[in-house]
Amino acid sequence: MAEIRIEDLGSRFEHFELREISETIPRGRITAIVGRNGSGKSTLLRVLARLTKPDKGQIRYDDVPIGAYSRKEFAQLVSLLSQEKGHVPDVTVRELVAYGRAPRQSMFRYRPTPEDEKAIDWALSTTGIRHNEYRLFHTMSGGEQQKARIAMALAQESSVLLLDEPTTYLDLSHQLEIMEMLKSLNRKLNLTIVMVLHDLQQAAAYCDHLIAMENGRVAVSGPPRAVINRRFMLNVFGVVAKVDLRGDYPIIIPIPQPVKEESSMVIVTNVSQITKGSGMLLIERFNKAGKVEGMKGFLGLEVMLTENTKEYDEVTVSTRWETKEDFQAWTKSEAFRESHAHRQTPEYILSNKIVFYDVKVVRQPLEQVESPSA
Amino acid sequence: MNVQARNDRRRWIGIALAPILIASVLYGIGSGSVSISVPEIWRIVFNEGDPAHEAILWNLRLPRVLVGLLVGACLAASGALLQGVMRNPLADPGIIGVSAGGGLAAVVALVLFPQFGYLLPGFAFGGALLSAMMIYLLAWDGGSSPTKIVLAGIAVNALLGGVMNGIMVLNSDRIQSVIPWLAGGLAGRSWPHLQFLLPYAVIGLSLVPFAAKASNLLTLGDQSAQSLGQHVERQRFLIVALASLLAGAAVSVAGLVGFVGLIVPHAIRLLIGDDYRYLLPYSIAGGAALMVAADTAARSWFDPIELPAGVLLACIGAPFFLVLLKRRRLVR
Repeated sequence: MAEIRIEDLGSRFEHFELREISETIPRGRITAIVGRNGSGKSTLLRVLARLTKPDKGQIRYDDVPIGAYSRKEFAQLVSLLSQEKGHVPDVTVRELVAYGRAPRQSMFRYRPTPEDEKAIDWALSTTGIRHNEYRLFHTMSGGEQQKARIAMALAQESSVLLLDEPTTYLDLSHQLEIMEMLKSLNRKLNLTIVMVLHDLQQAAAYCDHLIAMENGRVAVSGPPRAVINRRFMLNVFGVVAKVDLRGDYPIIIPIPQPVKEESSMVIVTNVSQITKGSGMLLIERFNKAGKVEGMKGFLGLEVMLTENTKEYDEVTVSTRWETKEDFQAWTKSEAFRESHAHRQTPEYILSNKIVFYDVKVVRQPLEQVESPSA
Repeated sequence: MNVQARNDRRRWIGIALAPILIASVLYGIGSGSVSISVPEIWRIVFNEGDPAHEAILWNLRLPRVLVGLLVGACLAASGALLQGVMRNPLADPGIIGVSAGGGLAAVVALVLFPQFGYLLPGFAFGGALLSAMMIYLLAWDGGSSPTKIVLAGIAVNALLGGVMNGIMVLNSDRIQSVIPWLAGGLAGRSWPHLQFLLPYAVIGLSLVPFAAKASNLLTLGDQSAQSLGQHVERQRFLIVALASLLAGAAVSVAGLVGFVGLIVPHAIRLLIGDDYRYLLPYSIAGGAALMVAADTAARSWFDPIELPAGVLLACIGAPFFLVLLKRRRLVR
């Protein structure tokens, strides 16, 4: 049993950075680390597993600084189920689980002691794969393989179990089975379990403590049911979600939002002032002109008739184009020339003005910020 | 493959390797321009044989067979260790620069300083170890990674190979003695070579069993091995050093025998899986038997011409290996 204290931790690993993290991970509880991709979850787990040395700050297991343990002592205290997909040799499940005894054996010892055998039997039974102990690891399904890996970690007989996304890539029933198994291990053996999780519902359902990471810092931590709400979802994950934690199994439903879009176009308006009442004449004339719809870069066309109280009406034809070049190509096209060349300007057109607009279009979802009471 | 099949195969191949090894030794001693039958070998051992045959056996055949056994065992063990520690099925003793370093040193010795030709094994051995060390240092960046070692190995191999070719082109009148060495083989190897090889081979091979467990754990991945309390960097260094010692010793007396280090561990892995507790000893036995058999075939099939064993190994071994490859999955 160990309480893990993180004190003012700072660490860089590859392009991930952790900053000013001070947290206490409760003893004998299940803690989930959540956050977006790249928020530093796995880096934090790496530091806890002593795979990366922190640049700053300290981590203490039971008040002992993490660096004070020898390799073997540390492996007897903390076991890690990493996401690393290394190659598992052609061994049986039992032989793989026996690797978990390595921290308690000398490098050159192959034959397990009775104590080793007992620990291996126990790990196999606890994870419910005793009946498969003599099967080759590679012949088992992904879910069963994951259980075998967990059994290997358990055979270390450590009091802290760190897991990096233990349920990723598993089907739903195996996901639940693994989470139930971890929960019962925690309850029965008082194991301190820390895991990186992507599924917030699982985190809320099975964990006692939640650490939410954002940009290498802890955004918020505490009991999941107290921490997770709509505001949390928006701040930590940038997702609008419906959160219902009242039932047996927490329900978090993300509500898809339109994403921010940016585009540009050219609008060309042709405003003609015409004598009153002759609007329809001009519009009919436009209807006959040209096959603009087929042109490259053509986005759309509107014709508006404004019947003024003044002494003239106005007809506005606006066309939208992807680029100015597309419009110019149209004015140079055969179809355009055909429709304009041999026709005289009718006398009901008083004046005519053409305007180009370069337009930038930004579509942005509205920020849904709620009051803290929600 | 289920566990029963795996265990059966392990057992039968383990049992089969002993007679194969004995057969290859008898074949090596008995075959050649003068053939010596098995009963006669028996009589010679008890001092009742034909004195001429006795001389051939003691002075030519036996030392050559013994050198072959050790060379094959060292190369295969080295390849098996490197494939594991690099997590790369393409790794062989060449990848850590042993061939290029040994080759360059040998060319320097034979071409530029022919008067010191008798120092050739020592020279090649030193070159092999130096280049392995160079690759490891170049790949070091606060820690080692298999990918970096492989890439640094490719670069150093290219550099040393270039220098070697340059020396050969500039001294093209004097490279006659180098070519058989580069092709790899055991022609003319005798007691002095065995004497040179024996201590390194015995020390190296007796350390191999201690690397089995670490090799198994390292294949799981650095993080997994580390969380099982292993000192990953130290183990990787020691295993690479051991592999360099084994391959360097082999190369120094037999020249650039390719293939054994790559193919033998592979073939064994395809047959019995990659648990290093079995893979390593089986590779050692298989490599020893193959080297002796190939060397014997290379010198007796085309009598009076003697092919370098490396040539024969490549010509017969490669197709055999391809058949094996077709029939089984290589990597899961």
